[in-house]
Amino acid sequence: MTADVVAFWGLAVLLVGSALAVVLTRNLFHSVLWLALALTGTAGLFLLLEAEFLAAVQVLLYAGGVVTVVVFAIVVTERLVGERLSHTSRSVPLGAITAFGLLAGLVVSIAGAPLAGPAPAMPDDLTPELGYAVLTRHVLPFELLGVLLLVALLGAIYFARPED
Amino acid sequence: MGLEAYLFLAATVFAIGLFGVMTRRNTVGILLGVELMLNAVNINLVAFSRFQGDTLGMVFTLFAIAITVAEVAVGLALVILIFRTRRTAMADHLDLLKG
Amino acid sequence: MTSHPVVLALWAWLLPAGAFLVLALAAPLRRSGRPAAYVSVLTALTALAASLAAWQGAATLTEPATLLWTWIPQHDGPLATVGVLADADSLVMLVLVALVACLVQVYSLGYLDHEEPAALGRYYLYQSLFAFSMMGLVLAPNFVQLFICWELVGLCSYLLIGFWYRKPAAARAAVKAFWTTKAGDVGLLIGIVLLWRQVGTFEFGAIRVMAEAGAVPLAGLSLITFCLYLGAAGKSAQFPLHVWLPDAMEGPTPVSALIHAATMVTAGVYLLVRTSWLFALTPDVLLIIGWVGAGTALMAAVLACVQTDIKRVLAYSTVSQLGYMMTAIGAGFAAAGFLHLLTHGVFKALLFLGAGAVIHAVGTNDITRMGGLARRMPQTMIVFLVGTLSLAGVPLFAGFLSKEEVLGATWAGGLTGPFVLLVVAAFLTAFYMFRVVFLTFFGAPATPAPATGSGAPGAVHAPHDAPAIMSGPLWLLAALSMVIGVLFTVTHRETPFDMPAWLMPLAVAVSAGGILLAWLTYQRRIVSADALAAAFGPIRRAALANFWVDAVFVAVYRVAFLSLARFIGWVDRYIVDGVLNVLSTWTVSAGDQLRRSQTGRVQDYVYGVALGAIVLVFWFRWLL
Repeated sequence: MTADVVAFWGLAVLLVGSALAVVLTRNLFHSVLWLALALTGTAGLFLLLEAEFLAAVQVLLYAGGVVTVVVFAIVVTERLVGERLSHTSRSVPLGAITAFGLLAGLVVSIAGAPLAGPAPAMPDDLTPELGYAVLTRHVLPFELLGVLLLVALLGAIYFARPED
Repeated sequence: MGLEAYLFLAATVFAIGLFGVMTRRNTVGILLGVELMLNAVNINLVAFSRFQGDTLGMVFTLFAIAITVAEVAVGLALVILIFRTRRTAMADHLDLLKG
Repeated sequence: MTSHPVVLALWAWLLPAGAFLVLALAAPLRRSGRPAAYVSVLTALTALAASLAAWQGAATLTEPATLLWTWIPQHDGPLATVGVLADADSLVMLVLVALVACLVQVYSLGYLDHEEPAALGRYYLYQSLFAFSMMGLVLAPNFVQLFICWELVGLCSYLLIGFWYRKPAAARAAVKAFWTTKAGDVGLLIGIVLLWRQVGTFEFGAIRVMAEAGAVPLAGLSLITFCLYLGAAGKSAQFPLHVWLPDAMEGPTPVSALIHAATMVTAGVYLLVRTSWLFALTPDVLLIIGWVGAGTALMAAVLACVQTDIKRVLAYSTVSQLGYMMTAIGAGFAAAGFLHLLTHGVFKALLFLGAGAVIHAVGTNDITRMGGLARRMPQTMIVFLVGTLSLAGVPLFAGFLSKEEVLGATWAGGLTGPFVLLVVAAFLTAFYMFRVVFLTFFGAPATPAPATGSGAPGAVHAPHDAPAIMSGPLWLLAALSMVIGVLFTVTHRETPFDMPAWLMPLAVAVSAGGILLAWLTYQRRIVSADALAAAFGPIRRAALANFWVDAVFVAVYRVAFLSLARFIGWVDRYIVDGVLNVLSTWTVSAGDQLRRSQTGRVQDYVYGVALGAIVLVFWFRWLL
């Protein structure tokens, strides 16, 4: 029982549990909070996988940004209607079966796949390497990503503009 | 922990997210399910990247996270717009394409 | 141009064809009426001269002469030819056809003088076509030309019976004639084709050689000859295909004289005479022919006794005499039947044309409305009487010796049953013909009747003898009838069989008896016609209903054909259409069902994607 294994299982339980809570809670606001917890758990997993930069990005953008935006959206739409949005679920058994079927398929595929052995050694600090890769080999997607973010921003502003 | 463990975990989260997408009535709830699915994908990418020994997967994940953020913003703007015009956030009521 | 009989026959054949083509193509000429008639009559006269000249040269022919052109070529000899076959039988028949056609065309100039020019032109167009077709049939050297001319003759019969097509009865009668003879023609065609399969050729000469040498396979030959006989039975009005001939009297009387007395109806008899060497190989079919012929003769004679329409009496008389000819053929002595055909052609045409003169003058066909016409129409009475005496079989007139020969042939051929039927029919023939004579020409004059009879174009005025253009042919035919009668009596024909000594007295006695009974009943009124009618009550009732033959045909049509048609209609509506309708309904409802999966809700489509993903995962895992 190394620290790795304990950490992994702990994070796994956290992640799966909060994910289930996200989809099963009746209160939408609570779902958002459970999502924030799940995203944080994912950040922990990234740390385990020695992707520290990504863990930081995850926490900043996902757990910080996305969750905030969703919270604001809920608040705004709730305001518009003036009542708590009911959001019970529909056809739960069928959904469960389908999701479970897909899970089963994936598990079977993974179990039968010839995967690599133990993890190879990696350099200590991956961040400079990441930055280097992004700005040399993947500079085009990087630039396009900037354009995408601009377009998304403009689009979102346009959609959500006040009615006139 | 071996690669399979991370993959199993990611698959589980993906399935849970899919369940959420298929069953939730509220559009924002559906978007939360989508978030979970994308998250699971990211875990997959990083795990593979780690066990291959290079950073390609991580770069991919970086971009994926950025795009997801953009997608959430636009998606929520759409939800607000639909809410304004149709006075509902229930996905069941959005059936204009009904054949 | 040589004067060989076969070339002359060819000329006689092609002249009416020329008239037909001219009248068909030159519409203004045809529509002008009388000029078209003159063209047709002129060609008919020339054709008559040519045919007489050909017949004169027939004595020089030692064997049949042919003039042939290839029609359907084949690598080893032509499949079918057209042309002329000139032998004793065909040339004398050619003369009969040309003579009667010519006389009828001349007579029609007077009979149809009230017709519109366009209709008159149409009439002569058809007459020329008929002359051409009938001569082509007579001169045919093979079955193909025979069959084609056979059908053409049937077509002309339809056109001429339905000449007054605006009259519904005439149109119906024309169609009935066409259909009834067509039923027989189907048999003829089948017989011809089957025969070709057996012997490989259509030519009469070649098949005759094979038949007389015994090279024709006997297996299935009875079927072939029976099928050929079916065609003859249709055209020559044998039972049960006789039903069209009485109705065909809706046509103009000259047409009845030409087609339904002398020429077209004799085509069937002529065919059997032509192919007698083939029928000689199948005695069982000959037996059938003999019995059916005799039965037809007696049946038609009975039917003639109850008719009041003068043309219908003559029509049934024709059916009866055709039965006589067929019986002679069935007895195996086709020459006797052929002789009767020739004499009958002459005096039956005479009788019809005479009846036409009466109808033209009086304006009705109904003999009960006539009477005492002898005083007003003496010429007509004389010629009609000549014809009646011939038909009744009185010595010195044309019909006597040929009828006696038929009776002798029947007796010599061993057909005693048919012989008895023919003798009874002879008695009835004399009876009903003189009934007509007494009721029409003698007795008290009846009041002039309106034009109620079929095909009566005459006006309602005091009856008088026919104009010269109509009486000329009548006198010619009457003279011919007497000349032939005297000639036969004087020259003592040779017969291929022995004539029993008691036959002539029997025939004379039977005819005299019939005439006597008719005289007593209708002239002297000693025997009451009503008592006679009552004595034969049931037979009379059946005869008035034409022995229900027409009713049987109608019933067969209604029951068999209509029900079959209804059944097929049902199959078409419910099974053929039904299958298609069911398929289309299922497609539409399937579409409706499938459409329910398009809910418009995104989450339902996500289900689809998820299921697809599962399928793909498992497929890739296990099948690849």
